[in-house]
Amino acid sequence: MQPLSKNLKNSIMITVNNLSKSYNNIEVLNIAELAIPKGQSFGLVGNNGAGKTTFFSLLLDLIRPTNGYITSNGVRVDASEDWKPFTSAFLDESFLIGYLTPEEYFYFIGKLRGQNKSDVNAFISQYEGFFNDEILGKRKFLRDLSKGNQKKVGLIGALIGAPEIVILDEPFANLDPTTQIRLKQLIKSETENTHTTFLISSHDLLHVTEVSERIVVLEKGQVIKDLHTNPETLKELESYFSEALDVN
Amino acid sequence: MGVGAYFIAEEVAPDVDPFVTVNNILILWIIADMLLRYFLQQLPVINVKPLMTLPVSRKRVIRFVMLKSVTSFFNILPLLLFIPFTIVLVFHDYNPIQTLVWFVGILSLSLSINFTNFLINKNNTYFYSLLSVVVISFALKYFGVFDLGFFAGLCFNALFDKPYLIFIPLTLVYMLYRANIKLLHDGFYLDDMVTQKVTLAQETDFSWLKRFGSLAPFLENDIKLISRNVRPRQVLFIAAVFLFYGLFFYTQDTYKDVPVILAFAAIFITGGFLLTFGQQVPSWDSQYYKLLMSQNIPYRQYLKAKWMLMVFGVLVSFVLSTPYIYFGWDIYAMIAAGAVFNIGLNSFVTLIGGALNRTPIVLNEKAKAFANTSGFNPTQLLIGLPKVFLPMILFYIPYKLINFEAGLISIAIGGFIGLAFRSYFLSLIEKIYLKGKYKTIAAFEQEP
Repeated sequence: MQPLSKNLKNSIMITVNNLSKSYNNIEVLNIAELAIPKGQSFGLVGNNGAGKTTFFSLLLDLIRPTNGYITSNGVRVDASEDWKPFTSAFLDESFLIGYLTPEEYFYFIGKLRGQNKSDVNAFISQYEGFFNDEILGKRKFLRDLSKGNQKKVGLIGALIGAPEIVILDEPFANLDPTTQIRLKQLIKSETENTHTTFLISSHDLLHVTEVSERIVVLEKGQVIKDLHTNPETLKELESYFSEALDVN
Repeated sequence: MGVGAYFIAEEVAPDVDPFVTVNNILILWIIADMLLRYFLQQLPVINVKPLMTLPVSRKRVIRFVMLKSVTSFFNILPLLLFIPFTIVLVFHDYNPIQTLVWFVGILSLSLSINFTNFLINKNNTYFYSLLSVVVISFALKYFGVFDLGFFAGLCFNALFDKPYLIFIPLTLVYMLYRANIKLLHDGFYLDDMVTQKVTLAQETDFSWLKRFGSLAPFLENDIKLISRNVRPRQVLFIAAVFLFYGLFFYTQDTYKDVPVILAFAAIFITGGFLLTFGQQVPSWDSQYYKLLMSQNIPYRQYLKAKWMLMVFGVLVSFVLSTPYIYFGWDIYAMIAAGAVFNIGLNSFVTLIGGALNRTPIVLNEKAKAFANTSGFNPTQLLIGLPKVFLPMILFYIPYKLINFEAGLISIAIGGFIGLAFRSYFLSLIEKIYLKGKYKTIAAFEQEP
């Protein structure tokens, strides 16, 4: 029997319509059609330059689409700002405010998402294990934390205020093995217990197949594969990426 | 300027040897050089990091870094000044060899400052002791006890008269050079030199900001932005300097009869923070602009918070400008009118200029010398003009037609009109932000 939450995932959260992005007439992304249902954990894989970050940036309206558009929960992201209240993201360190301590950063994000200090405190206390005693209560500025610890702060910050869409670019990179495992558990439990739609890109095929219900492979801006994750998916992906080796 | 120095000195003190006159004020150059380097020069240590892992001997890397530092702008500057001056001296029949020795001596002093600057590593104590030396020597001169400038002048004259004294500056520069080499050599490990000192956050209570409602989190962030980062703190320093701007004008009788110039000064006295901080909004937030753009932040709130901060800056400056009452209530009333104008109109004009300025800022690094020229563009200049000239015009016409008070009221009314149109201005700036959104994000992603 399927858990209850899965039954509610019929409606579509994100739709992509003839989307393309070019820089100086060189096309870096072209997705004719893509629909992501509510509550799905969606994995995006591809080599460098495949267009993963470009896609996420378009989704957050950080760059202008050359053609087409994305709608998020019925809102066209490049035409309205109404997608912002239910969307959160951590793409890179430019999503952190260097001169704040982790707590101050969480409170700030919390306030923007309608959470007061005690809400935020209750929320982050769940992740004490994830932070491994290196982040909270140290009064250190984010700019002085190691790359890995910065990432942890950014990832948890993206979950504050129960957003409906969470976009994470390369969340496993720079994390130590224990934290990688913890992060996988965290994403899995979030997708099982909430209706949050997760969009995750990764170079790590093993991790991404473990946490995603669906995997899309991008290559040179095109969708090459669109798979529902099953025990064979990892093998399929590995063989796909080693073929690229043989061709070269 | 180097050429001119000789003739200016001749003009100012026709009875004295111009060379001696220049020597007497040379100490000012030395102090200016020290301050300039202290504030603006980059330390060469930073450049060591990428070289550490190269297959080059440690000695050579260090020597390279040191010599490279010699080619910095701050060492070229004295050449630009003193080479022409030296040539003029020779043409005026000063002994070429003695002149050359003097020139080498001055250059060594400048280089000594260069190396000292690295040794003290932007140490605050150095800055304050330097400052106290300046203040004390001014006081001593004022009370006629001791004239440092004259004493230094004697030394420089002596250097010219007795060329063998050159060994003093030369030894000085050599010793400082060796000390630097030793410092770099001993500290040639990442953890010693390159990693920055980690400062801890101070717990501050910001609950008093609650009265600003939804603006509170932004105001709190901006206060932290200013107090915890090097670049914004420099802005505070400049703002403080602006406070003294009036002294240039109010102490001179020449300007007493041209009150329009005084109106000009009044704008700057209370506008230091507003103008310097405001023209870099939103650049201050460039390092995390993508976060702000993808979070649930209405532009209007963001802008209002910045505006509040600028208004607050004007009010603080206005309170601090109270001592100007000494120059008369007229002056003080003018400063007050200027403050109203700053709050009501200049704040918005500055924010419009800032919205068009897409130069990213690295918050926790000192501004590189002359690097912020890229933040300057013609559009901004054009927008900047009304900030200064509009109040002058607003003052001048009623002043000519009616009287001084009418001029002041006119400036203040300008400010109040701006306040009345606050919402219109905010919408206008919002539109600029929206229109330039992608451009701004892309620009802020570039390395500054």
